[in-house]
Amino acid sequence: MADGNPNSNPGVLESLGEEIVRIVAPVSACMLLVVLLVTSLHAGGDGGSAVTSIATIAYSEEASDSFWDKLEGALLNSLVFVVVITVLTFLLVLLFYFRCMRFLKSYMVFSSFVVLGLLGGQIFLFLIARFYVPIDVVTFSLLLLNFSVVGVMAVFLSKVPILVNQGYLVTIGVLVAYWFTLLPEWTTWALLVAMSLYDLAAVLLPGGPLRLLVELAISRDEELPALVYEARPVEQNQPGAGRRLWRERRDTATNSSSNLNGLEAGNPNPQSQEANLVVAEEDAAVSAVTAPLLPPQLERRREEDAEGIGLGSSGAIKLGLGDFIFYSVLVGRAALYDFMTVYACYLAIMAGLAITLLLLAVYRKALPALPVSIALGILFYLLTRYSLEVFMVQCSTNLLMF
Amino acid sequence: MEPIDEERGLIGHRSTAGTSTAVGEGNPTQRTWPTVDGPHGLSEEESLRYARSYFYWGFALLPFLWAVNCCYFWPVLRNSHSSPQIRPYVTRSAIGFSVFSLVLATWSLTFIIGGELLFGPVWNELVMYNLADKWGLTGWT
Repeated sequence: MADGNPNSNPGVLESLGEEIVRIVAPVSACMLLVVLLVTSLHAGGDGGSAVTSIATIAYSEEASDSFWDKLEGALLNSLVFVVVITVLTFLLVLLFYFRCMRFLKSYMVFSSFVVLGLLGGQIFLFLIARFYVPIDVVTFSLLLLNFSVVGVMAVFLSKVPILVNQGYLVTIGVLVAYWFTLLPEWTTWALLVAMSLYDLAAVLLPGGPLRLLVELAISRDEELPALVYEARPVEQNQPGAGRRLWRERRDTATNSSSNLNGLEAGNPNPQSQEANLVVAEEDAAVSAVTAPLLPPQLERRREEDAEGIGLGSSGAIKLGLGDFIFYSVLVGRAALYDFMTVYACYLAIMAGLAITLLLLAVYRKALPALPVSIALGILFYLLTRYSLEVFMVQCSTNLLMF
Repeated sequence: MEPIDEERGLIGHRSTAGTSTAVGEGNPTQRTWPTVDGPHGLSEEESLRYARSYFYWGFALLPFLWAVNCCYFWPVLRNSHSSPQIRPYVTRSAIGFSVFSLVLATWSLTFIIGGELLFGPVWNELVMYNLADKWGLTGWT
């Protein structure tokens, strides 16, 4: 059999590593940008004036409150937030069930325009005010208009270069994550814990809204309108290799339960046609879970979407934007304390992501990406803040280790 | 069927836009793709539609769309003999974007460098951080 291509056996290790790098890189970029924003703008509602929003509706934290007051208030806040999110997600399931796709899509377009335009504009204004950039109003408004309109088009409405799409998704994640770091400290941590538990419940429990959404999407073989980051697929050069497409293997008995790639129904990729003929030796066969945006709140925007990790029909890894956002919130919050906690939390989150991918390969069904990473991140934050830092400071001041 | 397809790939046959022979095997540069994404991007017919709509929408004060057009159809721009239908739109978008950025840069740099000397007290009325304070745009934290 003639084989005209030069790399005759790339092996699974190169392609797997490449795929993982293509999902780790944007997550890291998002976290880096949030850390930079947080440290340069000195944000953080620790005490003092906090942002009025749904997340602080029950209790707004003061620096002078006692430990138990703060804890109780934070838990109450996060409970309210999770309840609101659950209600809204069920609302979304209903809308999807009754096929109000146009309404959903136009709502998505509107909310991402609001995030990019208003939220983005405000954050740019913060930066301008902080660094005294002498930009004038005409230039600023023109650039902002272009930025938000092209962003909305890139994410939802039309086809743009993959890099532009990915760049705008990361930008949306950065903006929303920065907004979340403006919440008071205890509330932020309680919110992270609550969202991980919610993620766990919503994706794994049989009645969970995200699971319902995924099952509806599969049964109808339709795509969910959602903000999902899809890594660029790795090039397939070899005739013999390829990813197993769960969608194409729907008829085989072993795989019939785990094919959730109906979410990529609209992909006209010619390469996917070849790739489906072939059986991959071993694969990180994962399934895609997506969840859409939530409606804007009365005063402030909030976005919550896409729990879970998946594999698109072209073989690329997909990660929901909500995961980007909450990872960045954790790292941003850690940055408000010190850089040491940033490094520790970054490594913990990456480890959690790797563990989640591993679990996906084992279980082969929709899995939430938040719980493991957030748990490890919080654990490492506490350990670093309360024990590692003391140790490092002692070492440094005694010139033992810098 | 299989050997014939492979042979075709080896000879160096260049397929046109409409016919899509299965090109997973053989030489991957057989078929030219108009978009920068290569095989993950658009086909020729769709590309034409998108190039045209990005070009016309760019006139609605959205020169970034021209930039997107240029980036997206970069292979068309570089290779002056490809895609005779798409190329006019892409070249005009490139021209439009360069003109726009030139004009904007001129204005912006005049504003920044000239400052109060050139404009007088109007400068303080136009600069963004003063306007943000005046309108309370950053007063939400």
